[in-house]
Amino acid sequence: MHSFELLLQGFGVALQPTNLLYALLGSVLGTAIGVLPGIGPALTIALLLPVTISVAPTAAFIMFAGVLYGAMYGGSTTSILINTPGESGSMMTALEGNKMARKGRGAAALATAAIGSFVAGTIATILMTFAAPYIAELAFIFKPSDYFALITLAFTSVAVVMGTSRVRGFISLFIGLALGVVGIDKMTGAPRLTFGVPGLFDGIELTVVLVSLFAIGEILYVASRYKPGRDEVIPIKGLAFMTKEDWKRSWKPWLRGTALGFPIGALPAGGSEIPTMLSYTIERKLSKHKEEFGHGAIEGVAGPEAANNAAAAGILVPLLTLGLPTSATAAVLLAAFQNYGLQPGPFLFTSNPELIWGLIASLYIGNAMLLVLNLPLVGIWVRLLAIPRPQLYAGILVFAMIGIWGVSGQVTDLIVMVAVGIMGYVMRVYDFPIAPVLIGLILGPMAEVQLRTALAAAQGNPAVLVGTPLSATLLVIAVLFLLAPFVLKRLAK
Amino acid sequence: MPGLSNSPETLTQSEDETAGDGVRAASRPWWLGLAVIAMGCVCLYGTTSLPQGARYGAIGPGLFVTIAGAGLIILGILLLVQIARGEKFEPQDAEDASGDEKANPVALATALAAAIVPIFTMDPLGLPITAMLSFTLVARSFGSRGWWLDAIYGALLGIASWFLFTRLGLQLGGFLPIAGI
Repeated sequence: MHSFELLLQGFGVALQPTNLLYALLGSVLGTAIGVLPGIGPALTIALLLPVTISVAPTAAFIMFAGVLYGAMYGGSTTSILINTPGESGSMMTALEGNKMARKGRGAAALATAAIGSFVAGTIATILMTFAAPYIAELAFIFKPSDYFALITLAFTSVAVVMGTSRVRGFISLFIGLALGVVGIDKMTGAPRLTFGVPGLFDGIELTVVLVSLFAIGEILYVASRYKPGRDEVIPIKGLAFMTKEDWKRSWKPWLRGTALGFPIGALPAGGSEIPTMLSYTIERKLSKHKEEFGHGAIEGVAGPEAANNAAAAGILVPLLTLGLPTSATAAVLLAAFQNYGLQPGPFLFTSNPELIWGLIASLYIGNAMLLVLNLPLVGIWVRLLAIPRPQLYAGILVFAMIGIWGVSGQVTDLIVMVAVGIMGYVMRVYDFPIAPVLIGLILGPMAEVQLRTALAAAQGNPAVLVGTPLSATLLVIAVLFLLAPFVLKRLAK
Repeated sequence: MPGLSNSPETLTQSEDETAGDGVRAASRPWWLGLAVIAMGCVCLYGTTSLPQGARYGAIGPGLFVTIAGAGLIILGILLLVQIARGEKFEPQDAEDASGDEKANPVALATALAAAIVPIFTMDPLGLPITAMLSFTLVARSFGSRGWWLDAIYGALLGIASWFLFTRLGLQLGGFLPIAGI
């Protein structure tokens, strides 16, 4: 009941005209970047960060939430109409959705994706509304050693789940950890890995690394392997909206997708790939129209799209309640909180209820806005793809440059941009996952503080790290994550 | 900055080698493991001046750096072992690029030049001109032939962003610092 009242207050905040405007702005921007190649939600939020410093935090986060959800909608549009999934979560949608569009059922595919996203996003947001305060309460009893164990678990699961190889996942993570220690040590004032360069004393900003990896790395990579003229937008013929049959076949996959996406997204390193793939597999098994799968089955669009959106909401749960980011987008949101001097976690629920509940309420509003923005206006969004690629990528580079130069005005950061950009290129060529770098960079310093606090309190006795039942359990799970692939391989033999 | 910029820069040199060397080198990218080990060594080198411990049994600022460095060295060795066993590296697919495509070194170098140009031009020439140069280079690397048109687009984008973002409170430096504006 308490949550409900707070949520109502949150709506009071989110429905203020300026905040509504920011939600609209975020949704429009989000949909646009979801449609456009080369630029995703994490990069967009990173580029918006310096601009929003003069905006009130509540309004800024409402806009960021719009970007996050909007990108999801835009991504499904391109998957269906041109078969280019913008992000890993839309891969399954492209599979069936594009086939549907080729058969002239594009409008129905877009509709089931948008309505499914809306249903999933709304249900997931409701679940978050009621679950989040309890999870946040948990965090009050967390000791530094528990936090350290939790972050360690996030590290191992991120490194194991993302990407194709564990070794490469961990290399990405450790590069992030190494980048995270650069700068003046906050506890002792000792400069670390700065090698006497004054520009590095403040450390390497997450946004600089993120922009370099995602924008510069991507531009270098795409430029080197660019294949022009592959886009062919399938026109939407007429207004063949969803038929009665389509509704009947869609609603169960929507709900099942939500049930898969939200909890998996909320786990450390859950992400959106696993729930969308699971949802696709399950819908294929359960469908009465198995023969249609691979040729444009509506269930194969409805389920994964719902799962994808529910997972996006799920990612916000550990971020808001525990301050634990589990994806690149969540990492940049955490950096945004830190920019405002806020630390997400249980204390934010008590110290800044207006911000948290305004943000959660704006998710409901954003979802409704996106449904309106996307269904009737899909033709306008698709037209964005007419921007010629050379100028589009050139524009992305200019904005990346402004984002990095605008943060500090230091040439050092431009040098870091080139170095990390080259690293991003190499990582793409040799298939290293990119998100663990960002997670390591932002969580590394937090893990270090917790580790040092825990050890200082116990006079250096490392046993304190497994001193509470919770920390011991979390560390055991972390080890299991690491070993699971070995064990599974053994069992399979 | 030597430490951090060093390792990725060595990566490119070797990257060019693999591109020129053909299939055999690409299938056994030893340099990749060596680069990871090199990064780890840079971290460990950086800890030599840092205390590992602190008073009252707490750990010092050096320990975490040591962990990161040691981790990178161990992982680099593991990667070398994998490479020796014939680990496959498949380039990722992106929206406008296919991982199966062969790299075009000229386009890559042009795009890289676009990223490097700001280091030298941002301070003396300001954002608008830098944006114009980088824009033109990236557009060129993607096969655009209209040099002049791209330069005009880039300049317009640079000028518009400079006015807009300076208004929004970003410190983007002078409009044309060399002329004192």
